Amino acid sequence: MSTKVKLLIGFGVYILGCIVIVIATGWHRTANTEFHPQNEFKLDTWFSIGPLDFTKATMYVLIAGILTVATMVYVAKRMQQRPNRVQAGVEMLYTLMRDNITRGNMDDKMALKWFPFIGALFLFIWFSNLIGYIPLPTGTENEFHVFGLAIPAFSLYAATANLSIPLALALVVWVSYNVEGIRAHGFIGYLKSLVPAGVHGPLLLLIFPLELFSNVMRLMSLSVRLFANILAGHLIILFMAGALAVLLGIAALGWITVPAGIALFLFEVGLVATLQAFIFATLTAIYLGGAVSQEGH
Amino acid sequence: MDLAVITTLAQASDAGSKAGKAVALGIGGGLGAAGAGVGIGYIFGKVIESVTRQPEMRDEITSIQWLGFALTEACVFYGLVAGLLAFFL
Repeated sequence: MSTKVKLLIGFGVYILGCIVIVIATGWHRTANTEFHPQNEFKLDTWFSIGPLDFTKATMYVLIAGILTVATMVYVAKRMQQRPNRVQAGVEMLYTLMRDNITRGNMDDKMALKWFPFIGALFLFIWFSNLIGYIPLPTGTENEFHVFGLAIPAFSLYAATANLSIPLALALVVWVSYNVEGIRAHGFIGYLKSLVPAGVHGPLLLLIFPLELFSNVMRLMSLSVRLFANILAGHLIILFMAGALAVLLGIAALGWITVPAGIALFLFEVGLVATLQAFIFATLTAIYLGGAVSQEGH
Repeated sequence: MDLAVITTLAQASDAGSKAGKAVALGIGGGLGAAGAGVGIGYIFGKVIESVTRQPEMRDEITSIQWLGFALTEACVFYGLVAGLLAFFL
């Protein structure tokens, strides 16, 4: 059976399913009062240790951190002369982080110093984005029962879908590139280097506050970019994979929107998760390199 | 003074604010997507143009392309986040 025939059969089954389900359940709305989509991202405190509340975001941060360290140490421990597939993959990642991200944006001496930071940042964000797409039983809002056991609903969540984690990472980046710039130029020299070359006289009064403001805004754009990308991805998967049917109360929508949900899921896992980690690390490298380089940018 | 008028007005303004919130979310998500859609199309169009002109530069162009794509794409989400803030606050 050729691929074309399989595709046609799949499409036919999908259309047939649409028709059968619409005829069987009808197309009328029932008001939804029980399901609150915003609660999918609510953080319930599971237990507290002293002043620290343990929520599902904490769990995801811990998993991502442990996975980052464990996988990399494991691969590094059993390196071989003739790499197997996993080692080849990790080596490719390593080359990407070292050559493309770090060395492409700063000089070699600085790259040696900052590569561990940027690499760890990339891997942590990458892992926490990726494990965010594995459904885990964390939805304590709704529970279902199997043999008398109350199991929390399986739900998608990622540490990076919560503004506080990207904001903390962005703060570390922001402080470190500003400190590095001040160490390279001195405080006054760094403030001077913010202004583009060739700006003199009264124009400085206009340009300098703008440049200072854009420097501070990097903090917001860096964190909101990561947070909103992951959050919007999770939201749209949630809506396409069934929440739309529940919200509008039209049962047939559940079947109709599922292919879009699968396509978006593959898009998010295959492209967005890696791309956002790459962007965060690249921008970190660009900011660090730009703060130290001699000429104003 | 007829208190019923006040109640009706309050209900009307409540519905108005609800509609305003829905409009905010729609415009934040919808119009933001339109602008960034143009931008992303422009980036990929230019990438195809440059690669057909200078195929040997492909690797370099690809990495810049993803940077531009992600920066443009993020603009949708600024609008979307602003819309969500307006909707839920």
